[in-house]
Amino acid sequence: MRLDGVWLRYHRHGPWVLRQVDAAIGPGEVTVVLGRNGAGKSTLLQLAAGVLRPSRGRVVDRPATVGWVPERFPADQPFTVGAYLSAMGRVAGLPGPAADRAVGHWVERLGLTRFHDVRLPQLSKGTAQKVGLAQALLRPPGLLVLDEPWEGLDAAARELVPEMIGEVLAAGGAVLVSDHRGETVRLPGARQWSVADGAVTEATPSGGAAVAVVELAVPAAGLAAAVARLRADGHQILRVRDHAAPPAAGSPVPAPAEPPDLPSETPPGLPSTGASPGVSSSGASPGVSSSGASSGVPSDVGPAADGVLGEDLAGELPAAGAGRPGAATSEVGR
Amino acid sequence: MIALVRLRLTGFVQTGRALAPVLAGLLALGILYGGGGGARPADVYGVSAVVIFPVLAWQTKILLDVEPDVQRRLARVVVGPAREQAAGLLAAFVAGLAVVLVALVMPWPLGAVSLASGPEGRPALVGVALGLWAHLLALSAAVAVGALASRAVTRSAGYGAAVLAVGVVGVVVFGLSDSVAPWLVPPVMATARAVTRPVDPGTGLLFTGWAVLWVALALAGYARGRRNRA
Repeated sequence: MRLDGVWLRYHRHGPWVLRQVDAAIGPGEVTVVLGRNGAGKSTLLQLAAGVLRPSRGRVVDRPATVGWVPERFPADQPFTVGAYLSAMGRVAGLPGPAADRAVGHWVERLGLTRFHDVRLPQLSKGTAQKVGLAQALLRPPGLLVLDEPWEGLDAAARELVPEMIGEVLAAGGAVLVSDHRGETVRLPGARQWSVADGAVTEATPSGGAAVAVVELAVPAAGLAAAVARLRADGHQILRVRDHAAPPAAGSPVPAPAEPPDLPSETPPGLPSTGASPGVSSSGASPGVSSSGASSGVPSDVGPAADGVLGEDLAGELPAAGAGRPGAATSEVGR
Repeated sequence: MIALVRLRLTGFVQTGRALAPVLAGLLALGILYGGGGGARPADVYGVSAVVIFPVLAWQTKILLDVEPDVQRRLARVVVGPAREQAAGLLAAFVAGLAVVLVALVMPWPLGAVSLASGPEGRPALVGVALGLWAHLLALSAAVAVGALASRAVTRSAGYGAAVLAVGVVGVVVFGLSDSVAPWLVPPVMATARAVTRPVDPGTGLLFTGWAVLWVALALAGYARGRRNRA
């Protein structure tokens, strides 16, 4: 699929949101779209998906089957989860039995079984987002467009997203995904498009600047100091979470006995892999995931100012004494 | 596309939004037919087509507006923009057919219509057929007006209501027998007048062609209005 000299504005006399965008994505490729809030990431994704029509230029070679996961799933509809997904399967051209099979598969896989007969407006944000994911995958897409797919998802479901992306890629599909929370470090090897000032530029992958993700546990009381220290050492803090719900616990992907990119011996002072704290699995590549891109972390969770937590990060800091007081887990990019 | 039509009709019914136009239609028809009278079918149906025209246009707007904007965009991604628009219009037409059916049946049990022959000995059955024709022309025009007033085109509730009101009033006012520009609007009023008299095939074709052309132009405007408004 190719965007050929694409310009877009929402009103005839409105400002240009995108200007002269030339970009292409091929089968088996995954591209992460990065940019600040309001930069035009969602607009770019909607152009790629076919939601929006370019004001100038054209989008060519769009695959016949496109799956689009909007940033917010439209839950204000009177259907149950099962009825909605079955209907969307039929809308996508699946015959009745095939649609029902696809719905059954994705409902089970996304942990929606107990919500099958629940009406969409009664779903939580994260569960509704899972329904949004399911509807995009009912028919294997040639292009999967995901707009902030991790928003609202629980840890287990967050782990599923890279897995699903991998399956689409393996089937010859292409994937476009936007993210502003650093979750795309779970997609090693992804290309990166950066949207700023109406222009889209591609970051050049650099093997020498590959990043890895390490999860480590620190005492909650010393969290701020630990974060500041790590940043001072040049590490990028991707997120901080309470250790009560480690992501690997609900992951359907069994962690290998030894992460492929880790040294065979655990560094002194760190518990072994798979133990509750220390180095634990992250994303599709458990343990340490590497990325071929030089800027795998978006600016708003990157090293903004040493010792000062960014807004997103600060929002995720567990309150002192809340949950398990013993430890908070940091995910550190290097 | 049929699956999308079914999804939208189901949503329209299950949200309960279908209730308001249906009740309004029944009320209008009840007032119209409540007095009995046993008039000839074509006379009754000509008036009925004009009376339910605003209801049908309103119902179309409601049906097209029930779906959240993002869900409409999801449908657009899945089936493409042309079929997504066509599915909405078809769903509105099908929902309108149900109202038309009620309008055609309702006068019989209320005794508002009789099997009396029409002008120049026209059989009552021909009068019923002409009534159906008048209703279908009104329904087509109403779907077009309702579509132009839908949120996907007008973007705001205020503009949508204004377009709907202007469209409906315009059809009635410009359709009056002494109108200066009757060709500006679909022949809803003209058809209602025509069915009370003997209708020759030429008149029938003229009114049908007029309505088809007007609806086609209005729907082209709808498609154009939605070019950049998914």
